Amino acid sequence: MTVLARQAVLSPLAIFSFGISGLIVLPLLYVVYSAMKADFAIWQRLWSTRIPELFLNTVSLAFGVGIATLTLGVSLAWFITRYEFWGRGFWEWAFVLPLAIPSYVLAYVYTFLLDTGGPLEQAWQVVMGPEAPFFSPYSFIGALMVMTLNTFPYVYLLAKTALQNFNVTFEEAAQATGASQWATIFRVFLPLIRPALVAGLFLVTLYVVSDFGAVSLLRFQTFTYAVYQQITGRYDYAAASILSLLLVSFALIFLLGERWFRRQSRYYQMTGKVRPPTLMPCSVSRSALMTGYCVVVFGMAFALPTYWLVQWTSEAWAENEIGTEFLTYIWNSMVLSGGAATLALVLGTPLAYLACRHPTRLNTLCIQGAYTGYVLPGPVAALALLILFSSIPFLYGTALVLVLAYLIHFLPAGLQSMESAIQQVNPNLEEAAKSLGARSYQAFQRVTLPLVRGGFLVAWILMFLQCMKELPATLLLRPVGFDTLAVRIWLEASEELYQLAAPPALLIVLMTIPVVMLLTRKNWQVG
Amino acid sequence: MKKHIFDRNPFGVSLVLVSLLVVCGGSPANAADSLTVYSGRAERLIKPVLDSFQQKTGISIRMLTSGSTELLNRLQAEGERTPADVFITNEAGTLERARELHLLRPVNMKEVERAIPSPFRAPDNSWVGLSGRIWVVVYNTSLVNPDNLNSLLDVANPSWKGKLAIPTAGNEYLQAGVSVIRAAKGEEAAETFLRGIKENSGNFVFGKNRQIVDAVAKGKVALGIVNHYYIFRHLEKHPQAPIALLLTDQGPDGMGTIMNAAGIGVTAHTTHLAEAKRLIQFLVSQAGQKMFAELNKEYPLHSAVQTDPSLPPRKSFRVAEVPLARLSELREPTMTLIERVGLR
Repeated sequence: MTVLARQAVLSPLAIFSFGISGLIVLPLLYVVYSAMKADFAIWQRLWSTRIPELFLNTVSLAFGVGIATLTLGVSLAWFITRYEFWGRGFWEWAFVLPLAIPSYVLAYVYTFLLDTGGPLEQAWQVVMGPEAPFFSPYSFIGALMVMTLNTFPYVYLLAKTALQNFNVTFEEAAQATGASQWATIFRVFLPLIRPALVAGLFLVTLYVVSDFGAVSLLRFQTFTYAVYQQITGRYDYAAASILSLLLVSFALIFLLGERWFRRQSRYYQMTGKVRPPTLMPCSVSRSALMTGYCVVVFGMAFALPTYWLVQWTSEAWAENEIGTEFLTYIWNSMVLSGGAATLALVLGTPLAYLACRHPTRLNTLCIQGAYTGYVLPGPVAALALLILFSSIPFLYGTALVLVLAYLIHFLPAGLQSMESAIQQVNPNLEEAAKSLGARSYQAFQRVTLPLVRGGFLVAWILMFLQCMKELPATLLLRPVGFDTLAVRIWLEASEELYQLAAPPALLIVLMTIPVVMLLTRKNWQVG
Repeated sequence: MKKHIFDRNPFGVSLVLVSLLVVCGGSPANAADSLTVYSGRAERLIKPVLDSFQQKTGISIRMLTSGSTELLNRLQAEGERTPADVFITNEAGTLERARELHLLRPVNMKEVERAIPSPFRAPDNSWVGLSGRIWVVVYNTSLVNPDNLNSLLDVANPSWKGKLAIPTAGNEYLQAGVSVIRAAKGEEAAETFLRGIKENSGNFVFGKNRQIVDAVAKGKVALGIVNHYYIFRHLEKHPQAPIALLLTDQGPDGMGTIMNAAGIGVTAHTTHLAEAKRLIQFLVSQAGQKMFAELNKEYPLHSAVQTDPSLPPRKSFRVAEVPLARLSELREPTMTLIERVGLR
């Protein structure tokens, strides 16, 4: 391995991935530069007025959403993989559907539903009396609820796969040797699915701290929202950079923690010896309980918001507000997101491969650099890109600049699953191919690639989804006359026109559903 | 074996997709008879006017709609390479900011000087106001006796605790309004006002003006502060709603009603100056003024153009005498004050 590692440092592949990582770090470097250049008085002003509160809010939101998604995701995955209850087959794929709803759309619908005088408050007061207090969506609870409903499918999906690939022989061995049920859960079950849970939590946390759409609609003061306020309210890029820098450092600590955690639990999936769990039948009352639980979660995360989108869209349709221009928006969104996700997959492969197989300092640095792209708040990253790219004539003013922006921002969302896919392929397989005379790239292409295909598909889907929903960079960098569905939602919503914002939102949901459904294919993990 | 590289390599796919993008998203070269408009004003409030201009003159319009601040940032980053010829926003402070950053160029046009009063344009005519919007009190007619309110500052009195709805601190009209209060009544009055409305509004802080009007109409609160046209939008849908607009600060010592303006400026690096001037000429003409203002029930700035009959007539009230051009310099300390008071 040491010989290999030394070779890798010099290889063109390593240089290439260093280049990619450099491109991704570019906006961050610009932000660091702006923050360092900023007047010390700005630092002081922010420190005394904003930072403590923002830090507390961001951390508590991330922590709260982490716990809530873990609870929801694991419990649902557990029921669905272990018990036979009503509609189990439906629920198994239904719980990825919330991923098709952009966070700002979910937040938008909930601000309507939970608003004073909104349908949910009215329903609540019918039950509890006319003056019964109801919680406001513009609060910690509101942000917690929306972010949880929006992100729990990540945890669910990873937990479900881990549980389905879970080798029950371990569990049975524990029980046969006299371990109690709780001991089995805590000492055998949880440690074994820990990598999946950590990966899920990682995605969720990064998503929560970098989310801009939902928190700005719910006016919950996190770093990302404050950053946006600094840019738009005061044109203060220096203050925005300072806050971004703090957010990134905070995320970096988290990232390093996750790396360390993963190193502690490195394991390879051995094919052929896995005996997956069998489904247990259960009583009518238990079945009803589990079904009820699923109905409530699914209703809140998907059915209810989608119902309102359909409702508003039909109102807009009745008023003849939907024309052929929507075909252009659909086309723009599709091609842009598809192009960016594909390019990201191609460019991300060397990064993920080197980080797994040759974790030298340089390669690890590269991939960690790449991850920072995710956490830099969207509005700041977009503005940095605007400043950096606007002087490049053939690039700026075309949709290509958007592809690059997406690549920089969303490659990390895919890297996570690319890395774990490669990690699960035993390196001995490649070594065997090489010992039979295959070159490195041949070994990768003929042995590794077929095995990681599923994980790579997931990576592509995750990146595609994020691109479809992206807002700040699209708004700032799109060419004149180039609108995407997400941009249309923003334009209509900013005029407070629910009926007109709904059709593009519904289209995003409908178009991403088939892609999201690919995530539920059973064979994607092992490939 | 080698074929596999091409079979599986997704490079080809991505290249095709990316080149498609360049084809469909690339900006065509600026044609002679065309104008590129950066608009911070909602598409539905501006497109009909621009369409009619296009019909009349044959000059085609390409439009980019976005947030005013985003567009300003974009203009600044693009510098002399900007494709934009004119910049339209809903808030004069942003235009003045653009002027300070040398992103706009003065236009010397008699039509403008004749049509638009000087407080509603830049001193050097780098930007020109097109329509006025007033920041007013909306009240519930069954809960409030309007005689108790003479000034906008009165809504900060403790007697309105729990009965007032206000916009969020990020609202540009709140920011502009506070700037005007600072200029007209002084720092202390502005701070007292902010502390008062923060105290009185409690949880009734809304991101959308529509929500404020809703809350007042439903009697959740007695009063709100909004841009005037949201009141009329609501009344159009619900003609029986118990809400009304209150014009304050009209007494001899009053500062007058706070008015902001939507406006237009020609970019410093435009290559279509003649066409841009024709657009301005059209927008300040009586026909253009009427169309521009009516789409959103705003006040035309041209004094000869009739105001929408459902609005209080323009001559019935006095407007605060703070030139809009000052909004930009007032902004930074206003933001600091808002942040210090802790408005959300």
